[in-house]
Amino acid sequence: MAAVSHDVTPATTRPKGPRRGVLGILFAPVTLLIILFLAPLVIMIQMSVVRFPPVTDSGYTLGHYTDVLTNDLNRTIALNTAVIATTSMVIMLVIAIPLAYYMAFKAKRWEIFMLLALVLADELAPVVKIYAWQTILGRNGIVNWLIPGPPVEWLLYSRFAVILTLTTTYITYTTIPIYAAMKAIEPSVFEAAVDLGASAWQQTKKILIPLAAPGIFIALILVYIPMLTDFVTSDIVGGAGGGTYMMGQRVRDLILQGANWGAGAALNFIMLGISGLLALVAYRLAKLNRMEP
Amino acid sequence: MTETETDRTGEILVDACTKAFGDTVAVNDVTLRIPGGEFFSMLGPSGCGKTTTLRMIAGFETPDAGRIVLQGADVTGTTPQKRNVNMVFQAYGLFPHMTVVENVAFGLKIRRMARDEIGDRVAEVMRTVRLEGMEDRRPAQLSGGQQQRVALARALVNRPAALLLDEPLGALDLQLRKEMQLELKRLQTATGTTFVYVTHDQEEAMTMSDRIAVMNGGVVEQVASPRELYQHPASPFVAGFIGVSNLLSFRVDRRDGDTLVMDLGDGQRISAAAATHAAGTATITVRPEWIKIGDAGLNGRDSQVKGTVTDVVYLGSVTQLIVLLPTGERLTVHRLNDEVGGIDPTPGQQVELRWAAEHSYVIAGSAPTDDDATAAGPDEEG
Repeated sequence: MAAVSHDVTPATTRPKGPRRGVLGILFAPVTLLIILFLAPLVIMIQMSVVRFPPVTDSGYTLGHYTDVLTNDLNRTIALNTAVIATTSMVIMLVIAIPLAYYMAFKAKRWEIFMLLALVLADELAPVVKIYAWQTILGRNGIVNWLIPGPPVEWLLYSRFAVILTLTTTYITYTTIPIYAAMKAIEPSVFEAAVDLGASAWQQTKKILIPLAAPGIFIALILVYIPMLTDFVTSDIVGGAGGGTYMMGQRVRDLILQGANWGAGAALNFIMLGISGLLALVAYRLAKLNRMEP
Repeated sequence: MTETETDRTGEILVDACTKAFGDTVAVNDVTLRIPGGEFFSMLGPSGCGKTTTLRMIAGFETPDAGRIVLQGADVTGTTPQKRNVNMVFQAYGLFPHMTVVENVAFGLKIRRMARDEIGDRVAEVMRTVRLEGMEDRRPAQLSGGQQQRVALARALVNRPAALLLDEPLGALDLQLRKEMQLELKRLQTATGTTFVYVTHDQEEAMTMSDRIAVMNGGVVEQVASPRELYQHPASPFVAGFIGVSNLLSFRVDRRDGDTLVMDLGDGQRISAAAATHAAGTATITVRPEWIKIGDAGLNGRDSQVKGTVTDVVYLGSVTQLIVLLPTGERLTVHRLNDEVGGIDPTPGQQVELRWAAEHSYVIAGSAPTDDDATAAGPDEEG
């Protein structure tokens, strides 16, 4: 990594005055980003294909990829991750779609406050929020204090806790794109649908969801993919039994604890590929519903 | 009127409806009887209650008091979905993610009509509104006029008892608006559907309507045919809102046979037909084009006034003169430009004006014998 920080000295490229325009202003940060993103990426690619990483001249192999893909533990973890992320995503959509609809069409003067509340909820440092859930859900936490009887054990350090925490962490990023898409809907389309006999359910199915689809797919890209790589949440509120062990944790543990650079890097790129594929599918679906050609 | 067993197809009754939003009374005890097959307009300035009345007929607003009766059935508490009327919205409300045909078929699909019957009906209505060839376009790919036709087709395809139109031409430019006015009238005649049309444009209402309800401040000022509204406005508001009108105060000085006369001295007089009013003071209206300049063809009953021209405005087919009368009131006079080389009076010039007694129409009076039902809308002039 020393090589990287050595390259990052863009002081000489700093633009003087407005003459240089947008390109001049962007030059420094763009260069910085390219170096900071691409350099580690290149290093990771190298690690995933050399025989004995981090020794770079030990010969090349695709063995790390085949090892990772045929490993039963990895498949269990992948399944864990998919179940947790998908459940959280579904719950978030079930909350976000009505919430966004309410904000866009019904909240009136409360609209701006709700928007602000969503943004503020997200502004809080993620780790602080996750620790807050420990106090709420723990054995001696607020929930167990409120409900009578012996303490409920599965509230914390469980799949339930991970899903609940992920849902509250990402609800802002699910709601706001959907809200933005709904805000672009001409309200008279709903009156027109009512006038033509459509029930509330028919309006939702035939008008609201199709017109909000671009926002829904953007929310999928923004939220589902980060959840696949999240490791902080499960670290703090996940269980010890393995049912909450997620792919983000696995990659980190392989590299930082096992010093298994090859497997970690290979797994990393497989996930990057899957994420890219998901994003592409979501993007295509979102574009499909664009009104203007 | 229609209490007997008659054909009630398309008949609408707005029965003593009142609707308030907070402290504002939008519609105040409005009663309208619209027979089936009529082109009926509600005309008035913004905030007069016309759109609220329309939305009560459609079911989007519930009256605080009164009833909405459609084809003989009370629908006051019924949702819009269950009412056999369809609405064309000012913003059209077209579904942007659907093609023209999908938009038009929407109502029929909701009603679960058989697929081939939907196809037939949609094809038929597409011909009626002249949208053939546009079937697979999206609304964003259509012009304003075409979008308007889609909105009409989408409503008409359901064969509603009545079509409710809320300023549907408001977003179109003048030329297209004139075309669509004739088109709407043609559609209404062709389908025989009751049209209830809301507009603030008096010319638009005059062009298309069988009858017009002029509304102001939540009440109906007058319901009449365009001709009747123009010639016999029931209130100063109606006189001012429909076309250009002069309002003059009138004092009955004497009765001359079947003519009431207000003497202004020096042989000058303003006269009004006696049938309309008997004694006291009143407000009369005179249309600018009924006033003639000069004394040619003067008859003994006519109004006859001298005045000073203060303004002359050339408007093309007519020249508009503003004439100051000895009473201190100003008259707008339209002089028809129907001769080559006709010479207009100039400002400052004295002119002699005359008009027939029948053209001084009494619209409000303070006489004890007067029927005072129409004194609702004061001091507002269009």
